[in-house]
Amino acid sequence: MQEATFLILTALASGTQHGYGIISDVADISGGRVTLLAGTLYTALERLRADGLIGVDREEIVDNRLRRYYRLTPDGEKRLAAEASRLHSHATAALRRLNLNLAGGAA
Amino acid sequence: MSEPEEPALSISESASLERGYRRLLAWYPGWFRRDNEDEILAVLMACAQDGQARPSREATLDLIKGAVRMRLRPRPGQPRAVRAAVRLMYVGALAELGALFTIIMTAAGVRAAVARSAPASVDIMGLHILANEVLAPIAIVVWLVLARMITLRRDAARISVAAFFGLITLTMLASLSASGPAYAMADFTAGMVLWLISTVSMVLVFTPASNRYFRPEPELVGPAG
Repeated sequence: MQEATFLILTALASGTQHGYGIISDVADISGGRVTLLAGTLYTALERLRADGLIGVDREEIVDNRLRRYYRLTPDGEKRLAAEASRLHSHATAALRRLNLNLAGGAA
Repeated sequence: MSEPEEPALSISESASLERGYRRLLAWYPGWFRRDNEDEILAVLMACAQDGQARPSREATLDLIKGAVRMRLRPRPGQPRAVRAAVRLMYVGALAELGALFTIIMTAAGVRAAVARSAPASVDIMGLHILANEVLAPIAIVVWLVLARMITLRRDAARISVAAFFGLITLTMLASLSASGPAYAMADFTAGMVLWLISTVSMVLVFTPASNRYFRPEPELVGPAG
């Protein structure tokens, strides 16, 4: 799973969001490191919709502009949980080994 | 949830920026634009900087990259076999162009050969070559129209593909029997390639998955299994 995809799913994990909301939420989650551009966001959203990982929750018209809210589907939740625990276990392993090596080096 | 702060744009800046974005969005496939264009535009406009009158280079590249990706993706609901058939039709148009080129290049050689071996049939041969030169451009258009019909899910698409296949087969057989050994090898090869392409694409549009695409079954109302 690409980082942008992972962050988009994470942004939707706590509730429905519209396009602009996802962009600013992803910036928050990544500590300002990832700024999604519209082209990237919508090609990712289209793929996620086609794969059934997200769905359209509702549409609103705000200031004459269409605003579509997306939500995570049960499949999307499962995929995100699996990916998060995979990344988590890799990260834990990496940190554990670094600590061991640092401790070993100091002894 | 964060609300977009309206960027400070004058009316002319905003109009010019929106035009710029629409020009870029025009590169996306129609089905994607119908579904998403207004929404992407809203997001792009919300992300604008104060006083911005033109799309940034970064956003431009990102949108073009997205357009290319979307064009490479199958339309939603289009089975792989149908997608392959459409691509083959484009190959068919290209092959036809190659065939036309081949016919023009070999015409003189074929005429000379016929003049030597069977002077009586020179006129018939010339007519045959001329017919090919006229028919090939028409065939190119037919390949492209068929591809478009399949993409648009037209009811008549498959019957037309089958009819075109029949026509190509007949033309092949007719030219083989009419010209006999004088028939240029390159010409024959081109005809064979086109016939194979039309055969495969016809099989592809008649697979079970394609049947469902062209004739979606009415949704049954009742308890789901």
